[in-house]
Amino acid sequence: MLRDLVVGALAGAGVAVQLLVCLGVVLMRDALDRLHYTGASTLGAACLCAAVVVSESASLIGLKAILTAAFMLVTGPVVVHATARAIHLHREAQR
Amino acid sequence: MNGWLWGAVVLVAALVPLLWVCVRLPAPEGVVAVEAAGVDAVLALLLVAQGTGREPFADLALVLAVVSFVGAIAYLRFVEALRD
Repeated sequence: MLRDLVVGALAGAGVAVQLLVCLGVVLMRDALDRLHYTGASTLGAACLCAAVVVSESASLIGLKAILTAAFMLVTGPVVVHATARAIHLHREAQR
Repeated sequence: MNGWLWGAVVLVAALVPLLWVCVRLPAPEGVVAVEAAGVDAVLALLLVAQGTGREPFADLALVLAVVSFVGAIAYLRFVEALRD
């Protein structure tokens, strides 16, 4: 049915994005290059939470998935920015 | 085993290379890998909650999201001060 199709597509996209994030973090050369990929994991979280919410329209798991996704949407950019700043300060201190 | 649990298995398997990065590479790279691993583990717990139909696992995912954020900020303070 249509709902199963949407859930499958959203969950598959979320897991695929998360795998790409892990691949990028492992394969890139520099710490700042690796950091580019952790920012993208917010998209994977949003896709997976949307899949959980669509598969059961109103459940406690769906509610907590929305809470988790909202929290990660707010804290993800904060962590990436703080990490970039910390790496920059680390390199300045080394020089 | 349904599709949700297979997704969780894939995400847990993706933690292994991140662990290798944490152990083998210098501190800035390790912190980046820890942040990626935190998000990965949160999503794996969410998939386990949906796959088994037990919503306490969703509580774990929510708590791990908060704790990994605070832990990342705490580690970053050390990376800033590190001179080697």
